[in-house]
Amino acid sequence: MSRAAESLARALGAPPSGEPGFASALRRAGADDFQRLGLPTTRHEDWRYTSLAELAALPLSPAGPRRASPAELERLGGLPPAPRLVFVNGRLDPEHTDLAGLPAGAGAGSLAAALRERPALVEPHLGRAPFREHALAALNGALFADGALVHLPDGAAAEAPIHLVFLVLAGAEPAAAFPRTLVIAGRGASATLVERWAGEGTYLAGGLSEIALGEGSSLELVRVQREAPEAFHVGLVGVRQAAGSRYTGRSVALGARLARVETRAVLEGEGAENHLDGLYVASGSQLHDHFVHVEHAVPRGTSRELFKGILDGTARGVFAGRVLVRPGAQKTDAGQVNSNLLLSEDATVDTRPQLEILADDVKCSHGGTVGQLDEDALFYLRSRGLDRATARALLTWAFAAEMVERLPAGAREGVRRLVTARLPDGHRLQEAA
Amino acid sequence: MEMLRIQGLKARIGDKEILHGLDLAIGAGEVHAIMGPNGSGKSTLASVLAGRETVEVTAGSVSYDGQDLLALAPEKRAAAGLFLGFQYPVEIPGVANLYFLRTALNAIRRARGLEELDAMDFLALAREKLKLVKWDQSFVQRGVNEGFSGGEKKKNEILQMAVLEPRLVVLDEIDSGLDIDALRVVADGVNALRSKERAFLIVTHYQRLLDYVKPDAVHVMAAGRIVKSGGPELALELEKKGYAGWMPERPAARAAP
Repeated sequence: MSRAAESLARALGAPPSGEPGFASALRRAGADDFQRLGLPTTRHEDWRYTSLAELAALPLSPAGPRRASPAELERLGGLPPAPRLVFVNGRLDPEHTDLAGLPAGAGAGSLAAALRERPALVEPHLGRAPFREHALAALNGALFADGALVHLPDGAAAEAPIHLVFLVLAGAEPAAAFPRTLVIAGRGASATLVERWAGEGTYLAGGLSEIALGEGSSLELVRVQREAPEAFHVGLVGVRQAAGSRYTGRSVALGARLARVETRAVLEGEGAENHLDGLYVASGSQLHDHFVHVEHAVPRGTSRELFKGILDGTARGVFAGRVLVRPGAQKTDAGQVNSNLLLSEDATVDTRPQLEILADDVKCSHGGTVGQLDEDALFYLRSRGLDRATARALLTWAFAAEMVERLPAGAREGVRRLVTARLPDGHRLQEAA
Repeated sequence: MEMLRIQGLKARIGDKEILHGLDLAIGAGEVHAIMGPNGSGKSTLASVLAGRETVEVTAGSVSYDGQDLLALAPEKRAAAGLFLGFQYPVEIPGVANLYFLRTALNAIRRARGLEELDAMDFLALAREKLKLVKWDQSFVQRGVNEGFSGGEKKKNEILQMAVLEPRLVVLDEIDSGLDIDALRVVADGVNALRSKERAFLIVTHYQRLLDYVKPDAVHVMAAGRIVKSGGPELALELEKKGYAGWMPERPAARAAP
């Protein structure tokens, strides 16, 4: 057993008291699964290109309760506008949470509180996400302290984005936080969620979000990941979609030493749409991994993935895009693109589209590129007076811009600044932002 | 006053020598046209002048305003007042045309020790210049050349030229693929910028642009050299007789405008 698994296992025996039986059962199952599975290694098919060996060597213990000081909040990007929920070390921070602007009838707050106060709302949805035999999902189930519950009743439409801020403030010792989020959207409800992930120190941010979309509902979830340089981020998102629902997941990966966003979606009702986007900007020795598994269980579903990566230094990008079309899921329309821009000779990318099609009347495609900046375009810009560094920065930005433009208002401007700041010579582009 | 002097210029792309010793001199205020068949080296000459790195100069010299042009990086040439209008302008989705134009103008202004223009001042300038190509602002809100037709791309080159106000303009087959309306806009743009301080080198395969932009001198290029130079009447002669008479067996004539 690895050092991390050993130290985390010590925490498994002490579940919180006073939880309803279904929550205790989830924790027990998670603890058992994790004890049995341990952290995945590269021998595991789903983790072939993403080694958790460095994480496994850390003496990780669950992050304790903590308040964020004004200075810490400022360093981590300040607070977004309300409505917002702020979580520090995996627990709701009521002082910085502000729910003004939530639509009538909608609820947002602490999942831990909801387990005590509204178990009937939570029970049908908790632990139903399609993560099976999954060590990190098991660990989250066993150890989550809190997280967000967002409940949109039938027909509720949230105008302003709901911001979720997940901060980890590790002390001298490596810490692990496992926020768990549950989003329940009723029939015809719609909302935009913008998550920000950040922190300080050496830690694992091991969040898991379960999203249950009712008939005809629509949810856009933006994840902006800007974890600390020594942090590990494994974000799991499980989506179940009823007929005619639409889910849009947009991942912006900027920080962390190693970050993986794993989205598993099941289109359970006919005519559902699933759109997944990602932009990852990695440099130094960072690794950014996006793992997608979309299951078309019924006819007439649509899924689209577009992931773009910018890799510099010895950074690595990993993209695995699995689309499973079940027998009978006719008229499925699935398309996938992963394009990568390599800014250095030592940057690498592993990209694996995997289409498993068990129905015969479907439209499925995949594509993508791995390349460098276009020399003709560089010359064009230089011939107009831009020096080489500025021309490179501008073309690199141009590659990313499409993904940033897709973000909803309320996230776009901030991400534009963050992305330009992460690009080589990006300061030359301040005006583009 | 002489602005550009090219002497004995030899250049190659990969292993293939394209320019075999080219001589040309252009004075301030002059418009020169270089005409020649495909493969004669016209576009290679334009590339050498702008500093494209895929073309290697193996002999000869190019002096611009008395300085060694070949020693300058492409962006330094732009700052010194050189502008190349591309035969195939590049599409750059994701970078708004207006932002690109302002970045380019400010880079050049900075290099010349001038104050940069802020967004408002630049917008006023751009509005003025847009009239030249008869465009509304929607064209400059779009990505650079993104989804532009061939004619729109060439108009964008003329717009960039008008904004950057270069001193030496090299237009590489700016007229290729243009319908008559676009050709007129391009020609009007060139004529509007003609001045005593500014020189033009118009590289073209066809004579028709020269119906609208009257050159001071016409040079015939064949097999990597200037083989004949003359006045505007030379273009008409070429139009009538074709390039067949100017193929390489003939002794190379020295250009002397």
